[in-house]
Amino acid sequence: MKPFRFRATVNGRPVDLPVDPRRRLLDVLREDLGLTGTKEGCGEGECGACTVLLDGRPVNACLVLAPEAAGCDITTIEGVAVEGRLHPIQEAFLEAGAVQCGYCTPGMILAAKALLDKDPRPTDQAIKTAVSGNLCRCTGYVKIVKAVRLAAARLAREEGAV
Amino acid sequence: MTGQADGKMPAVSSVIGRSCPRVDGADKVTGSALFAADRRMEGMLYARVLRSTVPHAVLRRIDAEAARAVPGVAAVYTAADIPGENRVGIIVKDEPVLVDDRIRRVGDPLALVVAGNEQALAAAMSEIEVFYEELPAVFSPEEAMAGGAPAIHGQGNIQSVTRIVRGDVDSALKEARAVISRRYTTQMVEHAYLEPEAGLAAVVDGLVTIWVSTQNPHYDRREVARVLGIGQNRVRVVQSPTGGGFGGKLDISVQCLLGLAAWKTGRPVRMVYSREESMAASPKRHPCVIDYTSACDGDGRLLAVKVKIVGDTGAYASYGPATLKRAAVHATGPYEVPNVFIESYCVYTNNPTAGAMRGFGVPQVAFAHESQMDLLAGALGLDPFTIRLRNCFRPGGVTATGQRLLHSVGIKETIDRARAKAEELGMLEGKR
Ligand code: FES
Ligand code: FES
Repeated sequence: MKPFRFRATVNGRPVDLPVDPRRRLLDVLREDLGLTGTKEGCGEGECGACTVLLDGRPVNACLVLAPEAAGCDITTIEGVAVEGRLHPIQEAFLEAGAVQCGYCTPGMILAAKALLDKDPRPTDQAIKTAVSGNLCRCTGYVKIVKAVRLAAARLAREEGAV
Repeated sequence: MTGQADGKMPAVSSVIGRSCPRVDGADKVTGSALFAADRRMEGMLYARVLRSTVPHAVLRRIDAEAARAVPGVAAVYTAADIPGENRVGIIVKDEPVLVDDRIRRVGDPLALVVAGNEQALAAAMSEIEVFYEELPAVFSPEEAMAGGAPAIHGQGNIQSVTRIVRGDVDSALKEARAVISRRYTTQMVEHAYLEPEAGLAAVVDGLVTIWVSTQNPHYDRREVARVLGIGQNRVRVVQSPTGGGFGGKLDISVQCLLGLAAWKTGRPVRMVYSREESMAASPKRHPCVIDYTSACDGDGRLLAVKVKIVGDTGAYASYGPATLKRAAVHATGPYEVPNVFIESYCVYTNNPTAGAMRGFGVPQVAFAHESQMDLLAGALGLDPFTIRLRNCFRPGGVTATGQRLLHSVGIKETIDRARAKAEELGMLEGKR
């Protein structure tokens, strides 16, 4: 099959590469770009481990064909920390004990980021809804919700300080 | 951890009793932690294993000529290519790395394909022809234990039996005020860790190194060495960050196959299960059938229990013998019982293999012994807390296996606090 010219912005950097149009965004990120922080847990849209942001919206990268993401602004877990400084959501996940095996963590953090970017003061219900497409088999969800709440509070304080 | 030259713990520890950041935390929140499937090496090949679609059969022949001819395919291996022993297993070596004589479950590994890319791998898989003669299969321990059942491993299907006898159950049953007998059945459970099994193997300077998602690297190393017929000093197993295990990654998954592929091809080889393969190939929690009789006096004091546990370990023993032994040892629950007769059977069937899973046989019997306590309490008109407090272990108590509990026993305090909490939350209203 004729390769498709995949042009997009990934973590703030332009990418331009030929890809087989039948491939999933997940494979392009992991195999072609080496961004292995995005995980595959099921390959069928059930677990959320492959969550990335497409123009700020959380999607399952295992269900997105690469051409569908062309032209988008894509954020993966590798693009969340800025210049080696952890994002407040990442800090909050560590502090709240919301990370155990860590396999769900990249997807969880991106789902949380999508929420907090548009709703800086979410209710617990909104947090639960935001991570409802992400499975965690180790931690349980109490600490994950707590981490997102903690991150929201931190971000609000940072905002206030500016 | 900070240690001290004199071997004493420092007065104030920097870790014990404190909340500490995880050592691997930062890597996990930034995505830089390298799980097994995240690893790649120059010149790496990909591997996948063809699995059986029937539960019980004699394997006659595997024709892989057409698969070997698919462009991009480096090799197709079958049992004949294994240089060492083709049997693995933590307690009993009864499981083939690649089936040589008999298929014992859906999902048994038959042939290993190694190729330069995923497309070639997929094409080659569909070119392999397997010739077998199906045998009658058994899907429950009851059928497997019946006379005339097909013998899955050549002899009877009862893999092991554990018996615990204390006192005289039959006389105690005669004196009892209340006797409750019930059958409890528990289901098979898949661990469903979020990370499917994965690994990467490479041979460097004559040393096979395997980076793998595992809970058991030392065991893995022994098995890979035996299967390859080389010394353990030539095998290195490195546990990758492991995306959940819950007991399900204590058995061999990709380790021996990867070792074989890397050893034979001399190239790095990666193998990653799909979720479907993980479900089909990995061990499960033992489904159990538990026949439980409990007897107590008029005050609700346990006089005797008689328990028969039958666990379905599937096609291979895995951790079955130990799991069923543990189920037997814990069958009385946290209660002191003077007269005990417990029998626990670990039974082969043609179902998926059952192995270790959190609790290791104990959750199954807990469902039974706690249900029994509620039924006894109901029969005597006692509060469920009261009957448990009357029977629970205390320091000085003796377990069914004759162990005297000399130190702390937390069950009474736990029940007291649970009751206080339930009262505080108004959960007991209308329940007396
Ligand atoms: S891997 Fe995409 S949702 Fe599970
Ligand atoms: S921490 Fe293991 S799946 Fe969430």
